[in-house]
Amino acid sequence: MTRRIRHIAAAAVIAGAVVAVQAAPAFASEETVGSCAAVEAIHTQEAVGELATLEEPGNEEALKKFDDALDACIEAPSPIIPATNEIIWGGGAFMVLLIFMIWKGVPAVRGAMDQRAEKIRTDLEAADQAKAEAVKIKTDHAAELAGAKAEAAALIDEARAQADRLKAELSARAEADIAEMRERAAADIEAGRAQALADLRAEVSQIAVGAAERVIHANLDPSTQRALVDAYIDEVAGANG
Amino acid sequence: MNVLALDFPPVSHLFEWPAIWFDGTPFAINKTVLIYLGSMLITMAIFLLAGRKRESLVPVGIQHVAESGIEFIEESVVMQTIGPEGKKYVPFLTTMFFFILFSNITEVIPFIQFPANSRMAVPITLAVLVWGIYNVLGVKAQGLGGYLKNSLFPPGVPKALYLIVTPIELVSTFLVRPFSLAIRLWANMVAGHLLLVTFAVLSTVLWDSTYVGAVAPGAMLILMTGFEILVSFLQAFIFTILTAVYIGGSIHPEH
Repeated sequence: MTRRIRHIAAAAVIAGAVVAVQAAPAFASEETVGSCAAVEAIHTQEAVGELATLEEPGNEEALKKFDDALDACIEAPSPIIPATNEIIWGGGAFMVLLIFMIWKGVPAVRGAMDQRAEKIRTDLEAADQAKAEAVKIKTDHAAELAGAKAEAAALIDEARAQADRLKAELSARAEADIAEMRERAAADIEAGRAQALADLRAEVSQIAVGAAERVIHANLDPSTQRALVDAYIDEVAGANG
Repeated sequence: MNVLALDFPPVSHLFEWPAIWFDGTPFAINKTVLIYLGSMLITMAIFLLAGRKRESLVPVGIQHVAESGIEFIEESVVMQTIGPEGKKYVPFLTTMFFFILFSNITEVIPFIQFPANSRMAVPITLAVLVWGIYNVLGVKAQGLGGYLKNSLFPPGVPKALYLIVTPIELVSTFLVRPFSLAIRLWANMVAGHLLLVTFAVLSTVLWDSTYVGAVAPGAMLILMTGFEILVSFLQAFIFTILTAVYIGGSIHPEH
């Protein structure tokens, strides 16, 4: 059953109950104008015999009495005139209530309202403060993060530059080493070559001298011998190119 | 009085209740008096319960009724008619509103079914009290001469018109006001009670005789019951706001 149907059903039940209860007499007295008039009519009838005879001459007094009785059935005290007891109790109840409300009722409720308003205000202020702090912390964190990122980037750049520098340095050093080794190798080769040439020259000169001695069977003085050997070696070197 | 062959009670029997205790004395207690006392006790109970200290931040139940009442009187009555300096009258006007409301609303409460303000006692007592209060406040705020001058010779009116305006103001402010205030409340509650009784009696009698015939007056009875709840609130509000208007007018002659 939807909420709407439940509401309609509840309204119908309440309305039925209201009708049932309202239909009970909502007035102070069970006596009605009709019943009052009937009672008076019965009394008059008992006094004069038939009611119709009231119109007859001689019954004027009874007719007037009956009319007055009927008027009395309808008449009632003026509803606009306040009753003394109701003024006393109603006015008194209002004054007691007024004193209570000024002394206790309204101040207590207003105090509770003010207290709650104060609590809400304090809580809102605390919430604002907490929010401001959170925003500040967030901003600080963002700034710290940005700083850390910048620092990291700087570190990376520096590392990269250092690596480049190291690479260049190592490369230069390697090249220098290579050049030095090459020079050293060339020098060694040159020295070996010179040594070999000197050894060869000495050996060849001896061989040549020996050979020449054998060929010409003559002794040559040392300076002539040396000049001959050098000329021969130069000739051999020029031929080997 | 014979309507559709129904025996209808005389009007006085709808409003005058016999004494239950202290019959024949000025302190006789009848149903009307019991309703006045009940209204006083219910209002006291509401504000006592609502004023207790609670941990809950959100007002609930009775607390909500009392707080809404005070806020309503403060925002919708006092601030609109007197202004911020009228806040000191909030307890008085709140008391008036709740006391009149609970004395009216018994009109539709099952087994009570009688608006105590359909009796003239409280409406006229409160109206005379209001009359005294606004006149005293007027004299206090403006002095006797100033108050009479501003009341009888409203500023801004062409002098020739004072011939007409002054007698009207004299009668309206000093003579008619308390009665108009009282009669408005009293007559509304009398009329409401008469309507409800008429349809209730009609429903009962037609139900006894025809069953089907009771449908229309029964429906009207339901409608009028709802309407009278509205009237009960409205009349309490009107009495209260007029009181505030009179107080505001007497302490602020420029309005």
